[in-house]
Amino acid sequence: MNLQEKYHSELKETLYHGVHKSGLNVYVLPKKGYSKSYAIFGTRYGSIDSKFIVPGEKEVTEVPDGIAHFLEHKLFEEEEGNVFDRFSKYGASANAFTSFTTTAYLFSCTDHFYDNLSILLDFVQNPYFTEENVQKEQGIIGQEIRMYDDDPNWRVYFNFLDALYHHHPVKIDIAGTVESISQINKDILYKCYHTFYHPSNMILFTAGDIEPNKVAEYVESHIKATEPYQEEIRRVYPEEPQTVSKQKVEQNLSVSIPLFQAGFKDTDVGYGGDKLLKKDIITRIVLEMIMGKSTRLYQSLYEQGLINDSFDIDYTAEISYGFSVFGGESPNPEKVQQEVINEIQRLSRDGLNKNEFERIKKVIFGRFLRQFNSVEAVSNNFMSTLFKEMNLFNYVDIYRSITFDDVQKRFTEHFNPDNMVLSVVRPYEG
Amino acid sequence: MGGFNKTNITKGIHLYYIPTDKFKTFTVSIYIHQPLNKENATKNALLPQVLKRGSIDFPTSQDIARYLEELYGAVFDCGIVKKGENQIIRFNFETIEDTYVDQGEGLLQKTMKLAKQIVFEPLIENERFKKEYVEQEKQNLKNQIEGLINNKMSYAVERCYQEMCSNENFGIYELGSVEDLNTIDEKILYEHYLTVIHNSPIDIFVTGSISEDKVKQMVQNLFHITMDSNPVYPTTEIVSQVGEVKKVYEPMKVAQGKLSLGFRTKIAPTDKEYYPLVIFNGLFGGGPHSKLFNNVREKLSLAYYVFSRLEKFKGLMVVSSGIEPENYQKAFDEIMFQFEEIKKGNITDAEFDATINSAVNSIRSLADTAFYMEDYYLSQLVGGTNDDFEDLISKLSSVTKEDVVAVAQNIQLDTVYFLSNKEA
Repeated sequence: MNLQEKYHSELKETLYHGVHKSGLNVYVLPKKGYSKSYAIFGTRYGSIDSKFIVPGEKEVTEVPDGIAHFLEHKLFEEEEGNVFDRFSKYGASANAFTSFTTTAYLFSCTDHFYDNLSILLDFVQNPYFTEENVQKEQGIIGQEIRMYDDDPNWRVYFNFLDALYHHHPVKIDIAGTVESISQINKDILYKCYHTFYHPSNMILFTAGDIEPNKVAEYVESHIKATEPYQEEIRRVYPEEPQTVSKQKVEQNLSVSIPLFQAGFKDTDVGYGGDKLLKKDIITRIVLEMIMGKSTRLYQSLYEQGLINDSFDIDYTAEISYGFSVFGGESPNPEKVQQEVINEIQRLSRDGLNKNEFERIKKVIFGRFLRQFNSVEAVSNNFMSTLFKEMNLFNYVDIYRSITFDDVQKRFTEHFNPDNMVLSVVRPYEG
Repeated sequence: MGGFNKTNITKGIHLYYIPTDKFKTFTVSIYIHQPLNKENATKNALLPQVLKRGSIDFPTSQDIARYLEELYGAVFDCGIVKKGENQIIRFNFETIEDTYVDQGEGLLQKTMKLAKQIVFEPLIENERFKKEYVEQEKQNLKNQIEGLINNKMSYAVERCYQEMCSNENFGIYELGSVEDLNTIDEKILYEHYLTVIHNSPIDIFVTGSISEDKVKQMVQNLFHITMDSNPVYPTTEIVSQVGEVKKVYEPMKVAQGKLSLGFRTKIAPTDKEYYPLVIFNGLFGGGPHSKLFNNVREKLSLAYYVFSRLEKFKGLMVVSSGIEPENYQKAFDEIMFQFEEIKKGNITDAEFDATINSAVNSIRSLADTAFYMEDYYLSQLVGGTNDDFEDLISKLSSVTKEDVVAVAQNIQLDTVYFLSNKEA
């Protein structure tokens, strides 16, 4: 496997990239002087991929909710025992996560990087599912689901997504439900595994004080030499209307003060690549310009005691969906929402401020740069963006190309109060 | 790697400079050490909240926010860190290095100056803080104190400590209490501020790529505070007397029961037993190689999370887990069974080696995050030890199974706390 080297003079970083004959994309980001080395091996397969057509088949396969996450748990089991034991031998810290769109396995270590890399590549390629070990996991994941049932931040966010979407599977909890995971058996797990854990649907990203060519060698000797998929895995998503499903959703939990998440559904979706990256950056700039810490809206809400330091804003840009979201704790979430709408209307009348645009652009640059401090953060972000056909090495150029006009246009299109949802978690009454 | 340079700036104020060129940023932090006690805990917790609202040159939070944005989104955060019975008021800043922006902007100098202004040049009206700010931040702090309940996992650990140490200063919540908040106004808080600033050890940490002379000069030019006395670090009392096990049940509408077990280790960070204790904790519940993970979770499927954690300054250890309420007894018995296993010396070589290697790995990993390095050294100062990363690694690596079994004999269960929707 040959590696291409690319140096970014502004970031002062070099990225190596190669494609293994199986179709696996491999990346190395050397970080001189770092104690920790990190590797993340991920598949473009998340909780939203529960309906799909396997390459070479004609029929749609539909599987129970929560299966991608279940698979993630089960992959750590081997016939000889638990994979953690093998990482532990070298002191490595191993983990995994499942998101809406990705499942990834990772480790960080300060010694024996290549031994750990071999373990990672091997175990992810070797599933071992039995009826007994599937059943055992149902108890553990059941407790994971219970834990999230009590987590108000998690609940308020997932209720928000449920209200935002009519049919798109992003409205469903990543772990599924106790009921849905009870339908999982080893045959379904193998079918999902063989569909989505094909190297050509996967990425290996590594970072640290490591040698690119040595990583390539280990990939050559550990990745099975299968043929890349000749056709794409067809992911079947239901038709999603442009409107929101519900404008408001509420739940009661044992909390001291209401928590809320509110935001706007993105209707401009269906693409990845640089175009998506550009939309992502622009939307974040607009959000900061409307309700970032230096805005009059933020200051006024804070001074009225309507928001506190827990207030946060974010934008999610995926190929098949997108939304901006803001929230935190508030004694009166409805009033916060109303004031946000009023401010958007005022800004539509009076226009956005160009000086603020320039200042916020600086913030966005600083934030992007800072993530290169952490081998984990930068690798995870590279991986998730690569699955959307974006390359973060293009970030600075795209960022530079953004004009005040782009921002004004996005402000008018995306921040539409008709496409807004408010989700609230309140204390129990009495 | 992993050393720092210490400089005395003026009586009571020290600079700790950690040189490194691998990051794209500088960090600047100010830590003010206060003893944790009922009288001052709430006032100490309120101080950073009020100080962050405005200084003489930046009188509103909007002014501060705008300035931080001009500095390429420099990060500013403040609050409280509790280490034993030491309530530390913290201010943390991070700014990118000048080489990544077009012109040499002196971002470190500007950030350090802002830090100094926020902490030492607050906005004052008639010998007191601005009333509006104090009132708003009292409300915010009240919400924060009451908001502990929103995160059930940390709530259950904190409540266990509170019950366990109800007669010790450690039992005081790091953010104080709602009841004490009502007694504070802008005048009382300002007077308290003056006492704190002139009588507390203050540590300034800087990390990044800059020459030691330059950073020393920068700090010396900015910070010249006159101390009233030669301040010393607060100390923590370690309790060795354990009576009958205290059992606390707290009912709440929750889906999952939260079980916390509070233990007394009776070991201070300066004791030689501290190093075997770290290994004991790793073996017991410090990660996926531990006895708790492999038995409570993997073997019995009782929990998704179960871990043990040391509070090293106070000589405590807590086990925390989320379980089905009806599995209370099963989970409790298994946790205690695994504890007994270590006491009996039933430790495999694989478990033991994995624990040592994992401890070494986490210590070396600290060097990749500036704020973790700061926290590590801060803990050395507070704990009265002087181990750099390699010292600690070599001390932990020489711990034997026998050492671990020996420290385990003295560790005692003190309090069992259970948060659940039904009585156990």
